[in-house]
Amino acid sequence: MLFNSVEFLVFLGFVFGFYWFLFSKSKDLQNGILVLSSFIFYSFWDWRFSALLLLSVFINYFGGLFIEEAGDQKKKYWALLITVILNLGILIYFKYFNFFIDSFATLLSYFGYHGENWVLSIVLPIGISFYTFHGLSYILDIYYSRIRTNRNILEYTLFVSYFPLLVAGPIERATHLLPQLKNKRIFNYQQGIQGLELILWGFFKKLVIADTLAPFVAEFFNNPGNYNSATLILGVIAFAFQVYGDFSGYTDIARGVSKLFGIELLVNFRYPYFSRSIPEFWSRWHMSLSSWLNDYVFMPIALRFRGFGRHGIFIAVFLTFLISGFWHGAAWHFVIWGAYHGILYIPFIYRGKGLKSMFGAKQKGIDFKDYSAITVTFIFVLIGYVLFRADSLRSALNYYSGIILDFSFQLPSFEGKIRFLITMVLVLIMLILEVIGFHHTNPISIFSSPKLRLVRWALYAFILFLIGVFMNTNVSSFIYFQF
Amino acid sequence: MIEVKDLIPVFADVLENENIILELSTTADHVEGWDSLNHIYLVVGIEKKFKVKFTTQEIQSWKNVGDIINNLNRKTGAL
Repeated sequence: MLFNSVEFLVFLGFVFGFYWFLFSKSKDLQNGILVLSSFIFYSFWDWRFSALLLLSVFINYFGGLFIEEAGDQKKKYWALLITVILNLGILIYFKYFNFFIDSFATLLSYFGYHGENWVLSIVLPIGISFYTFHGLSYILDIYYSRIRTNRNILEYTLFVSYFPLLVAGPIERATHLLPQLKNKRIFNYQQGIQGLELILWGFFKKLVIADTLAPFVAEFFNNPGNYNSATLILGVIAFAFQVYGDFSGYTDIARGVSKLFGIELLVNFRYPYFSRSIPEFWSRWHMSLSSWLNDYVFMPIALRFRGFGRHGIFIAVFLTFLISGFWHGAAWHFVIWGAYHGILYIPFIYRGKGLKSMFGAKQKGIDFKDYSAITVTFIFVLIGYVLFRADSLRSALNYYSGIILDFSFQLPSFEGKIRFLITMVLVLIMLILEVIGFHHTNPISIFSSPKLRLVRWALYAFILFLIGVFMNTNVSSFIYFQF
Repeated sequence: MIEVKDLIPVFADVLENENIILELSTTADHVEGWDSLNHIYLVVGIEKKFKVKFTTQEIQSWKNVGDIINNLNRKTGAL
């Protein structure tokens, strides 16, 4: 059940009604109806996925208890190790098994051995990477004594399975989400309005921006040989805004839906394309994943290699990005994309006093005076996006060669230029409104003052009009759902 | 017995802030520049100054300056 489907809107209406009118007496009733709704939501893809989700919940709930109850450090370590292996075992089987088998078979073929086809027909359970990371953060935090176990199994199940974040995040932390589930939520009108506005803004980014750019991007990436360099460059720029509209749009909808239930989710994007460096980009793009990788991958590796100075930092950064690439997809082009970003950290690690922060400074303002650094960073991000968007390493190389080897000074040439141009104008409007709305929960709430009520309603109507005009009749999935 | 004041030179050096103020309850969120990377340099600096070696699990469980002090005192036998 996709967010941008009629079924979801009907489902949301029912859950909202049940939650606030029939199950609002206690937090256990509220949590109960949300857990039930989450499993129904997940079962819409495949009921067997729900069984897997339940298994993940049980592994980490009891894993957490075993780690906490273990008498000494050695037993704690073993309890953690077993729980981590179980989590990763499930993830590897469903997401990476075929990749390993396929890569192994390719390797054997270089030595002249052509075996049978061992690839299994495994369906990737949607959201598995996200809820596995949820569970892992919980047990690792217990192991590191950062949190105590949450003994209320209903609260823990909701923490992992909560439907707004189940399939593509934000990747929540026990310290942020669980405390919100421990008290009865009371309806807050203002929070509800903000939620609806976020949902509307998210739909605008997904249905108007991302879905309109998607067919152009697909055409350029599927047939790079048919287009000149300028068109292919435009194609990567279009993809940058497609993936931003798609994923940040999804996140806005998820955060907005959650606000309707009185629960706040983590912010996931803060103007990533205005970053002045690659480390800053990673502090603004998919922030919940960056901070997860920082705490549970980068830090343990960097601490282990702390005796090696800057080389140790580089090893940790590189391995973190390699894992990040692999997390995004079981394919070599994702792994190389991760490695590419790891390599981009080299100048920051080795120059002057060295890298100050793994994922950029703590301040999140935008400084337009540094426009040259912003432009250079964006170009490096775009170069990486070719690897990210392409279906394989080979097609990424074809795309690069279309830009570089066949370079010519020609204007972009493709069908549907007017529609493309209008969408890019809307991209510009989106960016301007988001920048102006820096201190607001969403750009629409810039006009939240009663005096500006008319402007706000005009904006609601305009966005709905745009959605009506641009919306594709076929419901499209979200890019990050495949991860 | 190691106290907060003994840690200040290491923090001042790593975070390049001579006027840094630390208390037992100070966390990374309270101090400008104390992020994941500087945390590693702080660990290296503390280990060098007090001639101790922390495990990853110990370091990861620190929540504030007080936890570092307690850990140090346990390591050096002061506790």
